Amino acid sequence: MAPPYPSFLAGVKSACTGSADTPFVLLGNFEVEDEWARDEVGLPTVGGRASTAIVNRMDEFAVLLAGPGDHVVLKSAPDPDYLAYLTDLGIALPTILVTDQSDPAATVSEDALRSPRLQAALRDLAGTGAHLLPHGMSTLEARLCEATGLAPSLPPVPVVKAVNSKVYSRRVARDLGLPLAVGWECETVAEFAEAAKEAARSVAAGRRVGVKDAYGVSGKGIVVVEDPRRLDQLVRMVTRRAEKTGDQRIALVLEEWADKALDLNYHFTVGRDGSVRFDFVKEALTENGVHKGHRIPARISAAHTAQLVETADRLGRRLAADGFHGIVGVDAITTGDGGLLPVLEINARNNMSTYQTGLQERFMGPGTVALARQYDLTLTGPVGFADLRDQLGDLLLTTGGGSGLLVNNFATVNAAAPGPDDPRPYAGRLYGLLLAGSEAELADLDHAIARTVRKETVNV
Amino acid sequence: MSVTVAADQQVVSAIVTALEEVLGQELTDVTEQTRLFDDLSLDSTSVLGLLMALEDALDMQVDPEGLEQSHLETVGSLAAFIAESR
Repeated sequence: MAPPYPSFLAGVKSACTGSADTPFVLLGNFEVEDEWARDEVGLPTVGGRASTAIVNRMDEFAVLLAGPGDHVVLKSAPDPDYLAYLTDLGIALPTILVTDQSDPAATVSEDALRSPRLQAALRDLAGTGAHLLPHGMSTLEARLCEATGLAPSLPPVPVVKAVNSKVYSRRVARDLGLPLAVGWECETVAEFAEAAKEAARSVAAGRRVGVKDAYGVSGKGIVVVEDPRRLDQLVRMVTRRAEKTGDQRIALVLEEWADKALDLNYHFTVGRDGSVRFDFVKEALTENGVHKGHRIPARISAAHTAQLVETADRLGRRLAADGFHGIVGVDAITTGDGGLLPVLEINARNNMSTYQTGLQERFMGPGTVALARQYDLTLTGPVGFADLRDQLGDLLLTTGGGSGLLVNNFATVNAAAPGPDDPRPYAGRLYGLLLAGSEAELADLDHAIARTVRKETVNV
Repeated sequence: MSVTVAADQQVVSAIVTALEEVLGQELTDVTEQTRLFDDLSLDSTSVLGLLMALEDALDMQVDPEGLEQSHLETVGSLAAFIAESR
């Protein structure tokens, strides 16, 4: 295990740059999988893989991962009342840089690449030894490093991309002799057709099978099959496409759905020197396979925790041997029979859980329980942070201790607002970390917030 | 951009049933104007499940890559595309 550092982020700096004091430029390029998938063949897609306006504004999460000596690049300036709220909580904020232009359909990286003024500022920072820490490293962030002289914190794109494939996750887990769900990795259409035949037998026997894109974003790029005919349909669609394009490649995994008790996310940091630091394990909250939040601490046994710590160490060493260094999150599950499947997928990029680390360090005491979650809103017009603060009242965390909701991304609330002439209601997302002294208090707080945001911010 | 059509009610009803299947929830307020991505949080791969369920329900074959973004704007625009493909 690597030596302890004063903070999670200091440890990442040390692991990725050799010094715990290196200034970072953070970039929240969520759904970086879309870039990795660009020259891959997966499930048939319709309407492209463009990220939504809300996902693109998840860039604001980076503000609370960064420290006061760091810089964060955002698509637009945060609501000043939101920043004042964070400062009042005693959070030392990073310096915020904003892209010259902000296209709702573009990721922060795409906007940054079209921003000469921002790039000039980044060139100055490069001169001070700053390193770029993106959410995940793709060709876009590599281009930004080239354009600005910023040193990348992460390894070259081909290495990062390779270790983020779900095909890689399964092969590494098998190589290391880790428990693994029954499944198949497919790299050609013929392999897929063969695997689909075997998977159809699983489905016919009453089990569910997930067909996953090697570079699907968590919760997306998955077809869950409960009827063997769906597998035939998929094979037919994929074969037809291959005949049309002449490209027989494919990057998919098929996996039997295990009998899940709890979803877990654990996290470790791999150093350039091959060291591995276990960071944490959290309970992940999902709904129909889509990530909805975390519960801290995870309600698992000490034995399972120990097993995950050991698995993290072994995975970290393997990733280091394959040329990777940086932040890694792994999705795992406990099963109904009391078992543990420690590797569902390896995400060698920031995870949602990564962005809570600074807040946990500052606001979670030994007796604190926390819930990170999102509230889905329906809005008819932009809501300012001051409005939300007034509506939430005492439910909002307003002091350094105690309980309440700590909003950790406000940009996603209004990200999908249509033009002023479009009267249709739109979806917003409010992200927060709920802190409380007990399970019961946490549940009450969650219900009270859900009731308030549903009633108060909806003007339909 | 949305496509306004007098959609075939059989197709609309098949789409709603297929949406319930892929989203794993009962849908009560869906109309032809309901937006698939913005209102129902469908993603591009859920659309694939949707199309497969529609192939079954309406006994037809759909080429997923023949579908354009504008066809996926609303329940009504998808119904129009499906009705034309039959």
